[in-house]
Amino acid sequence: MLTKAGRSSLDLRYLDPEEVRVFRGEDGRVYATIADEVTLISPAFMRSHPLTDPDRYISIKGTKPKEGSETRGDEFGLLRNWRKLDPESRSIVEQELARRYLYPRLKRILSLTDYSGTQVCVFETDRGLREVTLRDVRDNVVYLGHNRVLLTDAENNRYDVPDIAALDRQSRAYLTRVL
Amino acid sequence: MAAPEQIPETVHTLVEQRYPGAEVKVSARSDLRSDGAFGDQWLLLAGDRVLVCHDGEVTRVSADLPLAEISSFEIDNLVGGASLRAVMNGQRVDLLPFSNALADRFGRVREQLNAAAKGKPIREREEKAVRCPTCGLVLGEYTRVCPRCLRRGAVLRRLLGYTRPYRGRLTLIITLLICGTAVGLAPPMLTRYLVDDVLIPRKNVHLLFLLVAGLAGTSVFSTAMEIARNRLAAWLGGRISFDLRAELYDRLQWLSLRYYDHHPTGALISRLTQDSGGVQDLLAFALPMVVSSVVQVIGVAIVLFVMNWKLAILALVPIPFLSMLSHSLWRRLRKAWHAFWYRWSGFHTTVNEALNRVKVTKAFSQQPTEIARFGDRNADLRNAAVWAEQTSGTMFPIMWLVVGSGSLLIWLFGGMLAVRNEISPGSIVAFLGYVGMIQWPLNSLSQVAQWLSRSLTAAERVFEVLDAESDSEKTRGSVAPERLQGAVDFQGVSFGYERHQQVLKEVSFRVEPGHMLGLVGKSGAGKTTIVNLLCRFYDADEGQVRVDDIDVRELALWSYRQHLGVVLQEAFLFSGTIAENIAYGRPDATLEEIMAAAKVANAHDFVINKPDGYDEQVGERGGRLSAGEKQRICIARAILRDPAILILDEATANVDLETEQQIQEAIGRLIEGRTTFAIAHRLSTLRNAHQLLVMEDGKIVENGTHEELEAKDGVYANLLKMHRETSMVGLGALHAD
Repeated sequence: MLTKAGRSSLDLRYLDPEEVRVFRGEDGRVYATIADEVTLISPAFMRSHPLTDPDRYISIKGTKPKEGSETRGDEFGLLRNWRKLDPESRSIVEQELARRYLYPRLKRILSLTDYSGTQVCVFETDRGLREVTLRDVRDNVVYLGHNRVLLTDAENNRYDVPDIAALDRQSRAYLTRVL
Repeated sequence: MAAPEQIPETVHTLVEQRYPGAEVKVSARSDLRSDGAFGDQWLLLAGDRVLVCHDGEVTRVSADLPLAEISSFEIDNLVGGASLRAVMNGQRVDLLPFSNALADRFGRVREQLNAAAKGKPIREREEKAVRCPTCGLVLGEYTRVCPRCLRRGAVLRRLLGYTRPYRGRLTLIITLLICGTAVGLAPPMLTRYLVDDVLIPRKNVHLLFLLVAGLAGTSVFSTAMEIARNRLAAWLGGRISFDLRAELYDRLQWLSLRYYDHHPTGALISRLTQDSGGVQDLLAFALPMVVSSVVQVIGVAIVLFVMNWKLAILALVPIPFLSMLSHSLWRRLRKAWHAFWYRWSGFHTTVNEALNRVKVTKAFSQQPTEIARFGDRNADLRNAAVWAEQTSGTMFPIMWLVVGSGSLLIWLFGGMLAVRNEISPGSIVAFLGYVGMIQWPLNSLSQVAQWLSRSLTAAERVFEVLDAESDSEKTRGSVAPERLQGAVDFQGVSFGYERHQQVLKEVSFRVEPGHMLGLVGKSGAGKTTIVNLLCRFYDADEGQVRVDDIDVRELALWSYRQHLGVVLQEAFLFSGTIAENIAYGRPDATLEEIMAAAKVANAHDFVINKPDGYDEQVGERGGRLSAGEKQRICIARAILRDPAILILDEATANVDLETEQQIQEAIGRLIEGRTTFAIAHRLSTLRNAHQLLVMEDGKIVENGTHEELEAKDGVYANLLKMHRETSMVGLGALHAD
C-alpha cells in the first residue's frame, strides 16, 4: 500500500506551495503540475472547510491526462495555504474557487415585505443585488457561532451572513423579523 | 419578476444580427454571470449554433459553438449552483453557471440540448411550477397556495359553504350575537339616568332600585346570551372541523401515489392536524369575534351620535391613530414570542436528541460537552423568555394606557361641554362607558386581521388537498373477473415517476400463469417499478400492462387488487393483534383460516409461544416481534388472501440465515400455483424461478431461465460469480449451492 514516494496511501498529502504550479493551457483549460510527477487536466480545487476556514486546506483533485476521462478523480494533495502559490497559479486558483463556490455574502437587506409567512426581500450581496424569497427561514437557518448565519431561500440558494452585528440597523431589524 | 421566460429584445436582436432567420429552438435564462455575480445570461440554441448571450448593460455573445461538433452536454455540480458544459472533441467547455434556483430548469435544458445534439426531436418539457403563475412569487415545494394572490373572499365563501348543513344554528348564533350586543348597549344609558336623575339631584330612591335592577338584568341577560353563543359556536366549530377532517382524510386515502411522491407525509399530516385546526379557530372564534366587534362598534357609534354628535366625533377621531400605535406594539410583542417559541422548539430538539444518544455520550465520555451544549440552549431559552416576558410586561400596560387615553379626551371636552351646560354629567359617564366598550375591539383589530389571514391560508391549504387529482381508483375500469389465471404481459412499457426521467424504457416480457419470475438488477434498475405498475400504483406512460390479456386499466381496480398479494422488504404491521394483522386483507376470515395461513407461513409455532398467542398486541411497527417473525406474519397475510398474483419485493433481505430458510420454505409453499414476481438481491432466493429478468438502467438486458443465463456468460453469470465469491467469504457459504 505504499506509493513510490514511500507514503502510505492512508496518509494525507500536504503539498508544498513551491511544488505546485497551476496554469492555463493553450486550449484554455486549467492544468496543475504537482512536484513534476504529474500534470492534471482541469483539476478541481475544493475547500475542506468552506464555511469555517475557506482559505486553508484546499484539496486538489483530478485525473492524469492519459486516463482520458475527466471525472473529478482522486485527491492529489492538500494545500495548507493556497495564497502562498506563485502569482500566476494563485490567480487561477482564485478564479477556480470563485467559480465553484457560488454562495453570496449578504451585505445589506434593502427591503422586506411579508405575505403571511413568505417574505420577499432585496439582498445586496458581494455578487450584486438579488430579489430573494424567504419561507420558514427558522427551519433551515444554520447558526455558525453567535453572529454568523447561513440563510436558505425558498429556491434552495444559500446566503452567508458573516457577521450580523456588522450589518446596518435596518438590515438587522429585517433579519430579526425572520429569525 | 414575471414568471414566463421571454427572451429580451436585446438578446433577440443580437442573435438575429449574427444568424439572420435562425430559429431559436431552446432558450433558458441563467441568473449568474460567468464571473459568479448575479445577472442575466441567456443560453440559446439558434439554428445549429449554441449561443451564450450576456445580457447586462451591454449585450454580447460570450460563447458561440457549432452544435454539430458537440457530442453531449453535461452539468457540473458546484457549491450553491452548477454549470452547464458542452463536450467538444473530448474537451469540456463551460457554457454558463446558474444558481440552485434553476437546477431543475437546466436539468431539462440539458436533456433538450442532448436530444438536439443527437439529432432527435426536442420535446417540450413540463416545468415544475415553483412560482405562482399569477404574480410570480416563489412558492413552497409542496404547495401551490400563493399567500400574495390568495383570494380571501373566495376561500371564505367556500368555507362558509361548510356551515350550510348547520344553517339553523348559525342563524341562531347570529341572532344571539346581535341581541346580546344590543342589550349590552343598555348599561351606559342606565348609568346616565343613574347619575343625572338619582345621584346629582340626590333623590328618587325608587328609581335607583329600578335602574340597578335594570343593570343587573342586562348583565345577566348578556352573560346568558354569551354563554349560549359560545356553546353554540364551539358546537358548530367542532362539527365543521370534524367534517373537514373527515373529507380530508377520505381524500388522503384515495389520493394517487404520484401525489404522495411529491408531498412528504409530514406536510400532509400537518394539513390534517394544524391546518384543519386553524380552520376551526377561524370559524369558531375569529369570525364570531369579528362579527360581534363590528356589530358592537356600529351600535356604539350610532348611540354616541344620537346622544351628542360633537362629542361623538371627538371620541372617535383618535381611534385610528391609537389603532396604528397599538399595531406596532402588537408587532413587537409577536416578534418576542415568536423568538421564544422558536428557541423553545430548539431546546426541545436538543434535549430529545441528547437523551436519545445518551449511550454514545457515555461511551465517549462526553457528558461535560453535552451539559455545556444544554447550558447554551438553556441560556438562549432564558434570554428569549426574559425578553418575551419583559416585552409583554411593558407592552400590555402601554397598550392599556393607549386605550385609556381616549377617555381623557372625553373628560376634557365633555367636561367643558358640561360646564357650559350643553350636556349632563350622566352623559359623560355614559360616553365613557361606550368608548370603553369599543376601544378594545378596535385596538386588537390588527391582531384579528393577522389571525384571519393565517387561518384563511390554512383553509386554502386544506382545499388544495381536497382539490388534488384523485386516484383512478374509483373511477376508471369496469371489468371485474371472478378469478384471474395470472398471465402477465408487459408490452413496450415506458414509465417515469418524474416525467423527465424515464425509469422503464420499452420493457416487454410475458409470464405464464403460475410461473415464478425473478427480477434481478442493481437498485434503481427498475425492478420495483415493474411491480408498481403491475399493482397499478401507477399507470404506464406508454405501452400496456396486460393481465389475462386484459389491459389493467380496464380492470376495476378494487376487484383487481383483491387478486394481488404483496410481501415487502419492510414488514409493516398495524397496531392490533397478530390475528388482526394476518386478517388485514380479509377481515371476514375465520380463526381457523387465520391459523392455517400462519401454519403455512411457518408462523404458527412462534405465535403460540407468545403469552397472548394470536391475541398478542403488536406495536406501532410491530416492535415486539423480530424482523423474521414480522415477515412471516406478512406472508401469512398474503397467504390468507389467496392471491392469483404474488409479489415478493426483497421479502427476505432483513433476516438472518436460519430465519431466511424458514421464510424461504414458507414462500415455497406460498408461490405454488400462483404467478409470482420476486425481487431479490440474494440470487439463491431465485433458484426456483421459471424465468429471470435481468434489468439494467430501465431495460431488460437478459431474459431466460437460471441455466440459460448461467450458460450465456453475460450479466447474470457475472453476478452469480460475484455472489458465490462473497458467499465463500461470509457466512453465506453455509447455504451456497
